[in-house]
Parts: sequence; C-alpha cells; structure tokens
Amino acid sequence: MNEWVIETRALSKRYKGRYAVSGLNLKIAKGDIYGFLGPNGAGKTTTIRMLLGLIKPSSGSVHIFGKELQKERLSILRRVGSLVEYPSYYGHLSAVDNLEAIRRILDVPVGKIAEVLDIVGLAKEARRPVKGFSLGMKQRLGIASALLGSPELLVLDEPTNGLDPSGILEIRELIKDMPRQHGITVLISSHLLSEVELTAGTVGIIRQGELVFQDTIESLHRQAQGQIRLVVSEPEQATVALMQHGFRAELKESAVWLNGGQGDDAVAGAVKRLVEREHSVYRVEERRKSLEELFLQIVGEGLRA
Amino acid sequence: MMGKALSSDFLKIRGKGLWFLVFLGPAGLVAMQALNFGLRYDYLTERYSGRLWETLLENILMFVPIALYLGITLVASLLANVEHHTNAWKQLLALPIARSAVFGAKFALCFLLLAVSCSVLAVGTIALGLSLRFGTDIPYGDILRLSFMPFLAALPALALFLWLCMTMKNQALPITLGVVLAIGSVFSYSLSEWVPVNWPLFGYHGTHPWAFAGAGAALGAVILLAGLLHFGRKDVN
Repeated sequence: MNEWVIETRALSKRYKGRYAVSGLNLKIAKGDIYGFLGPNGAGKTTTIRMLLGLIKPSSGSVHIFGKELQKERLSILRRVGSLVEYPSYYGHLSAVDNLEAIRRILDVPVGKIAEVLDIVGLAKEARRPVKGFSLGMKQRLGIASALLGSPELLVLDEPTNGLDPSGILEIRELIKDMPRQHGITVLISSHLLSEVELTAGTVGIIRQGELVFQDTIESLHRQAQGQIRLVVSEPEQATVALMQHGFRAELKESAVWLNGGQGDDAVAGAVKRLVEREHSVYRVEERRKSLEELFLQIVGEGLRA
Repeated sequence: MMGKALSSDFLKIRGKGLWFLVFLGPAGLVAMQALNFGLRYDYLTERYSGRLWETLLENILMFVPIALYLGITLVASLLANVEHHTNAWKQLLALPIARSAVFGAKFALCFLLLAVSCSVLAVGTIALGLSLRFGTDIPYGDILRLSFMPFLAALPALALFLWLCMTMKNQALPITLGVVLAIGSVFSYSLSEWVPVNWPLFGYHGTHPWAFAGAGAALGAVILLAGLLHFGRKDVN
C-alpha cells in the first residue's frame, strides 16, 4: 500500500490506430516535484489531459489520491489545480474577473483571489484587461487560477513555455516553494531537462508515448557520471591487462576508457598496474556526460529503434 | 452546480455585445413596424380600422421567425466563442464541475437572454401600438403569445445551434447554417407544418398553436439531451 498521489496503470491513448501514449505507469509521491520530460509530440500533453479527465484513455486507468479518476472525477478535481499548455483566459475581463469566473465555480472565499494574485505577483495589474498582458503575465495568471482552489496537487504543462529567462527563473522559484510552503505535490512537464533539473525530485521521461525512465534526479545524475580516459603507450596491451585485473576497461579512439565505479582508489589502482607493466601514462582525464546529453541519448534511442 | 456555472457565465459575457444584441433584435422588429405604419399611417389605419392591434401583430409576426433564428445563431455562437477564443474549455472542464452543468448553464443562459429579447418585444409592441394611437384596448394575451410561443417553437434550433457552436471550434459552419435557416424560414411557409422550421410561425398563427410550441419544446429537449451526452463524452483538445 504505497501512498501515490498520482498512479497510472498501463495508461494508453490511441488516435486513429496510432498510440499517442502507450502503457504508461506513472508514480508520483506526495510532496514531490515530478518533472515529466519528453520531446515535443512525445505524449506529455495527452497524458496530462488524461490525468485531468479532459480526454478519455483508450485503455488503462488513472488513480489520483488513491481514487479512480473515471469514477470520482469531481471530488478529485476539487483538489487539483492545473495549467494545460498555453494559458487560457478571458481577454476582455480583468485579472480579478478572470479569477472571479473560476472562483464562482470553485466556490472558495473571495479573499482567495487577492491572495493568489499576490503569490504570482500580479496584484498591481489586477484591474487591467488580460488581453493587454504579456505572455509571462498571462502564464502567471494561469498559475494563479490553478492555485485558486488551494489544491493539493498542481499539474503544470510546460508552464515556462515562451517565457524570457527572468520569467522562467521566477516561475521556477514559485514552483520550488509549493511543496515546502504549502505541502503541494507538483507535476510539471517540459521538453527541457535543464528546466526541471533544479526543481524536480523525480523525473519521468517519455518517448513516443512510452515511459523510458522514471527515477530520482540523483539516479539520473549517477547515470550521467563519466568515464575515466587514460592515454597510455601501447593502449591495446594496457586494455587487456586492465581487464585481466578485473577493471571494466575498453579501447576507444586509441585510449583506454574505464567504465563504472571509478572511485579514487580504483583509478589509482589502475594507474599503478599500468605503471608496473611499464606503460607510459600520459593523461588521466574524467569525461562527464552532461544530463542534457544523457537526456538526448535516452530520448534519441527511440529514433533508431 | 449549474447555478455556479451560470453565475460564472453571466460574468464572462460582460462586454461581449450579447446584451446589446438581446435588445437590438426586438428593437429592430418594432422599428420596422414603426416605419411601416409611420410612412403610410392614414392608408393603413383606414384600411384596417377596427382591427389595428391585430394588424400590427400580424405584421410583426412575419419577421419573428427570421429574427429568432438569427438571434439564436448569434447568441449561441457569441457565447461559445467566449470559451473558444483562448481555448478556455480545457481550463473550464478541468475544474470540479460536471460537464452537463457546464452545457446546461450555457443553454440556460441562452434561454434567459432570448427570453429577455421576447419580453422586450412584448413591451416594445405595446409601446408602439399606444404611440400609434391604436387605443387602449390592448390584446395582452395575443401580444404575449406572439412574443413567447414562437420562441418555444424555435427551441429545437436553439438546442441544435448551441450544440454545434460549443463543440466546433470553427464557427463558420453553424453560422452559415443559421443564416440559411433564418432566410429559409421566410419562404418555407408553403411547406408542410411538419417541418420544424415553420413551427415558430404556427406557434402563433395556426389552428392549434400550443401543439407547435409544445412540440418545439419537446424536440428541443431531445436535441439538448443528445448535445449533453455528446459534450459529456467528448475529448477536449
């Protein structure tokens, strides 16, 4: 019995014979910030729409707060705030009236409007028609709408799309605060790893509708850990010698590469063996794969498959 | 729950020209007759003396169906466009509210707006008759029937157009259809009374007006139900 805020079981959506999302098993823990990553068109938005009950899954199920979405949609949505893709707003109304239109449906106290406008920093612009807002302001208004019902789960689909760097930073800080200050669980989707890298605790990577990675960001970091590159004389013999001593060595571009478990002692040991065998060691370097490279690799594997 | 959605909808239509349209329609009908009777007052009052109110109502009736169909089309389209414009459906329908309540509230709002139009028509007709000095023997019953029975008989169109406008992002089709229907309603009088387009006219005119108003309300309810079911299942993109 694990307490997942969101759990999907073999969630699939088929459009005209083509799977937009297939066999998705998302697991999102309470109080976590979950980064939902994937290139454009991988099925992120489709998944999020299914999580919100906007579209019906072809098969599989969605459980939120331990309840099945199909059966208890309204009581679940009562506790969820969402922003799907580019923001929706009523351009002819002011920010306050936009929120009021939503407030009347949510039935929360009027005071909540000023509160959420304050959180997203729109209090000064509250009376202006929204059609004159910049994209960043509209996006912030969207987040304010999502917060209006004091949700326990916040679902944000590409909330930083189209924002300038300072806007992205602002939103990132805002999102970071959610679990800390209000105990809100956040699902945030993006096509850029760098965007969720600094906020998310767990990441799920979706590629062509399938979840290809789901673990903590630390684990992703570990996978991104580098290799040690040794430039030595007679690299062929050196590689063989190291393998005989139980190192996971590999010959590539006429250099020896050490994979996995490169603690300081292991590296020192390897160098010692090489020196003992009278190889000249010219260079010992660490080559790190950036998270972004790893992400592209994970995402890119689908292209070859 | 529908009440909440309705109250939200009332807020959303502010400044969208819907209220203006609601008053423009009946004002236009009354103005047309003011012109008609004003230009040839002596001729008409002499020719139809003794049944001036009846003549006024008959003249207005000729344009009630076309005004109703145009009004229904425009109100439904404008109302749906409030949500279509920035694709607010995805936000609205992700709120904790039943889709049937959302759809129901839009229908109720259209109904209320058009009912206001009908009331304005009734008041306008009385005012016109009085100012044309048709006497104070005002046929209130007939005026109310003229104002509201065709509206009831036109409910199938309201349910249909609201459904089309709410589910289609491109409003060109429903509006074209509405305009064709409105213009067609002027010429369809010769067709059978079984054709629903004619019902607004027979809702006042025929031998059993209540049957046509009732049939309109019933068919409207059936179409509304179909729309509700479809809207409830539809994927929102």
